[in-house]
Amino acid sequence: MTLLTRELAARIGEERVYTAPEPLGRAAIRYFALATGDTDPAHLAGDVAPPTLICETNQYAGLPRDADGYAGHGWHLDVPGTRLVRGGNAYRFERPVGPDDVITARWKLADMTERVTGGGRTMLIVTSVATYTDQAGRVLAVNEETLIHVAR
Amino acid sequence: MSLVREQKIELPDMIAYAGATWDWHKLHYDADYLRERGLDRPVVDGQVFGAYLAIALREWFGPDAVITALSFRFKSLVFAGETIRCVGTVVREEAGTVDVDLRVEVVEGGRIAVAPASATLTLP
Repeated sequence: MTLLTRELAARIGEERVYTAPEPLGRAAIRYFALATGDTDPAHLAGDVAPPTLICETNQYAGLPRDADGYAGHGWHLDVPGTRLVRGGNAYRFERPVGPDDVITARWKLADMTERVTGGGRTMLIVTSVATYTDQAGRVLAVNEETLIHVAR
Repeated sequence: MSLVREQKIELPDMIAYAGATWDWHKLHYDADYLRERGLDRPVVDGQVFGAYLAIALREWFGPDAVITALSFRFKSLVFAGETIRCVGTVVREEAGTVDVDLRVEVVEGGRIAVAPASATLTLP
């Protein structure tokens, strides 16, 4: 069974850009710190965002929630006969993020590769790269995300 | 140097995280949705392990340490009510930079939730 169809391969290189409708905000930073058990006073005061916040939030996306309740970026790839699992993330942090920053996230569908597991299952590995910038165009962080469609 | 940090993840923590990240996926709270998928407890959002590892790193190396890179791969699901243990090992330290190998274990049962994982920090 081939998962990486010609139609899917043609989507490699697609991009989506989202800009938050407002600055990140002190409340959003404090809420994230409280939710994760972060005790750093600068985070709890909302002065500086914990480094992974902008890679984890969907605040910037402005998307309606889907049938699963998810309201973040997605490529909505049609890969029949598979289930979707998270592979992992690789973050690179370039600058501290503060409450006045207006986040833009530029997502790129960087690559799709097909592999067969040791157990003989075919899987499609989807690699995306999100680059987060502030209102001055300065890069704040880069997030390489891997999602895996595993044949049932 | 013992680099270990434990944290129990209760359902209110997960609800708070869902709100704080604008991520309302039903896997994290909806009993009917979970039952239809053969799951008996809410699933912890995998993204939160980035935050937990970052908190652990700053506790271990101090608030002035700057995390410049963090990567992690998911091994197994974690469920509401379980306790996770972040474990770090310094693998290189030179010129104010430290590289750390990381993993996240589930205390109950000892399974690995996140590995391999790693981080690079600059120290003051």
